Amino acid sequence: MTRHKTWYVAAVLLLLAAFVLSAGGQKPPSGAEGAEKQVLIYNSNWSDAAYRKADGTVVSMFQAENPNVKVIHSIISDEDFKAAIRAYLQASPPPDVLTWYAGNRMRFFVEKGLILDISDVFDQENWHEKMPPGFVALSTMKGKQYFVPTNWYWWAIYYKKSIFENFGLKPPKTWDEFMEVCSTIKGGGISPITIGTKWRWTTGGWLDYLNMRVNGPDFHISLCDGKESYADPKVKKVFNDVWAPMLKKGYFIPDAPAYTWQEAINLMVTDKAAMYLIGQFIETAWPEEMKDDLDFFQVPIIDPSVPIGEDAPTDGLFVPSGTANPELAKKFLAFSGSVKGQEVWVKQLGRMATHRDVDKSLYSPEQQKGSELINTADFIAQFYDRDTTPPMADKGMDAFMEFWANPDNADEILERLDEQRKEFFAE
Amino acid sequence: MSSGLPCFHVSGISDTVPQIMQKKSLYHLTPYLFVAFPLLIYTVWVIGPMLYTFYLSLTDWDGVSAMNFIRFKNYSRLFRDRVFYTAFLNNIKWIGSFITVPIAAGLALAMALNRSVPGSKVFKAVFFFPMVLSFVVMGLIWSWMYQPDSGIINSVLRLIGLEALTRGWLSDPKLVIWSIIFTGIWRQVGYVMLLYLAGLQSVNTDLVDASRVDGAGAWQSFRHVIIPQLAPITVVVIVISIIDALRAFDLVYVMTRDGPFNSSQVLATFMYNEAFWNYRMGYGASISVVLFMISLLFIFIYLIRVFKTETRA
Repeated sequence: MTRHKTWYVAAVLLLLAAFVLSAGGQKPPSGAEGAEKQVLIYNSNWSDAAYRKADGTVVSMFQAENPNVKVIHSIISDEDFKAAIRAYLQASPPPDVLTWYAGNRMRFFVEKGLILDISDVFDQENWHEKMPPGFVALSTMKGKQYFVPTNWYWWAIYYKKSIFENFGLKPPKTWDEFMEVCSTIKGGGISPITIGTKWRWTTGGWLDYLNMRVNGPDFHISLCDGKESYADPKVKKVFNDVWAPMLKKGYFIPDAPAYTWQEAINLMVTDKAAMYLIGQFIETAWPEEMKDDLDFFQVPIIDPSVPIGEDAPTDGLFVPSGTANPELAKKFLAFSGSVKGQEVWVKQLGRMATHRDVDKSLYSPEQQKGSELINTADFIAQFYDRDTTPPMADKGMDAFMEFWANPDNADEILERLDEQRKEFFAE
Repeated sequence: MSSGLPCFHVSGISDTVPQIMQKKSLYHLTPYLFVAFPLLIYTVWVIGPMLYTFYLSLTDWDGVSAMNFIRFKNYSRLFRDRVFYTAFLNNIKWIGSFITVPIAAGLALAMALNRSVPGSKVFKAVFFFPMVLSFVVMGLIWSWMYQPDSGIINSVLRLIGLEALTRGWLSDPKLVIWSIIFTGIWRQVGYVMLLYLAGLQSVNTDLVDASRVDGAGAWQSFRHVIIPQLAPITVVVIVISIIDALRAFDLVYVMTRDGPFNSSQVLATFMYNEAFWNYRMGYGASISVVLFMISLLFIFIYLIRVFKTETRA
């Protein structure tokens, strides 16, 4: 019995020793340590399959150009990342580079001093000239830049060409034409518009566009910033005069909350619906064999006197202010925002670059069309849940969902929502 | 001897055990020393965070800014919040469903499968199988089944001509929580059945036979002889069901993320949402404190009962 015990104890001690040694060896070296490689910690939330690939390509290209640098690249699922980012920013040291969004989401952290000022990178890379002013404006707060916009995509009404052909329809330009199209399709037994509202945010797209088309982008952004009231007659007009009639006439698919945004695409594929107000990422979920049947048009104009606002959510990178390697991090940012870095996104994902020098011939005809769409816009919005604060977006989207189920209750729902707004923005 | 401290055999040790260990105080202290280490871990990892959460609920922390002590403002806001009452009501619906349907169905199944009829082992395994699945898997598959357009439930209803019964199972605000609870029940039935199968083993068959000899019908002997003997296990089942109903999170989160507009919100998801999505840690903490108090109430009832029976024995 004693002999067995001795072997047993020895084995346990050996295991423990091995564990301790290996754990010790895994401690991440600081940037200044040793003749070994410099380490850059990069956390990304670009977790969908195609995105990962593109993201990985950028990282490998950077490492190829900088052989003395090792990038520790972690990809976290989008939803988890949104919750974890606060922990990242407060860690010591925080990761060196993080992916994130422009708009309110960025402003929040900048105001807390958690993001590094990278105006010198903008100057060094001459991005004030090389990037359209709209994108530079997105990255700027109080005259300094904090964010590198690396790619963007557009929102539009995607439609199935074959259904339109069957009904002899053309893409509408005005709202009246659009209502005609919906009515014709509905009469033919097909739901005009599909949408998956299970995770709520797709309703934000409708709010953005209807509000910007009726009241103009300035009013819309003020609303998102908490400066306007949700119970304002202008907002009520959008809900009661434009959105509610569409719902009541059955222009949207029934049971929208039962579908995720991807599942709602299925109804278009099976010819049960014709159109979808969604971002360009629908193309990643659309069946490959039906690629030619998908096209898009700009959300039709309601009031020609109102400036045109479009949603063009912009992805990008920033550096937490507590980083241990500011110079290295800025180098990575410079690379990501450069022509070479951005071309990866253009080639692999069909995204749009923010750098003017990116070869336009790389754009497919469809990307050129998307580019046109945004170039004719007077204002670029980032999408409801990026333009306003997270708790406001949460309650706002709940309100839109409630309105979706009860289109006659718009006034009451909006008044309640405004109470929330006053609470949130008073803090 | 009643439950409590472990018994130590001290006969014949006084020669070999050193003088110091024979001191009475140290002897009585030994059990506490055994418990001290796990208790320490428990204090650091459970009690400590719990107390910290109580403290957090009195602040307005948002995860990055400074913490401001705002006393009971979170609670007054909570009790004015419509969503809180919706979530609370949904938990009540969950509890109510869990202490009735799975118990009745589980008991019925246990009674049916208690005899060694051919295939009873297979049936037992089949009914218990859902317990092995993770909630996430369960939630995902059921939400596909519930899909109004191509989900299997509505498709079968249409196939057999019952189109009128098709619904938006997860999109109708009035129906959604019941659809989710049903999935929970589907899982719970197997577990309750297993508990009752174990409980039925301890039922005294002599009493049952005696009652039958005395002329009691099958139902009467079931109701007046078997069920009372299952009382202890029923108490356990009820407590577990209540705790599971209060803990419900995974199914709601995966199937609807509290949609549509909070119709399927429960306290646990509400807390998670407010703390980690809206970054209102203080508010989220206050919700968790309320949830804790509700659970504590049921746990106290159970513990009081257990202590009473123990001291009697």
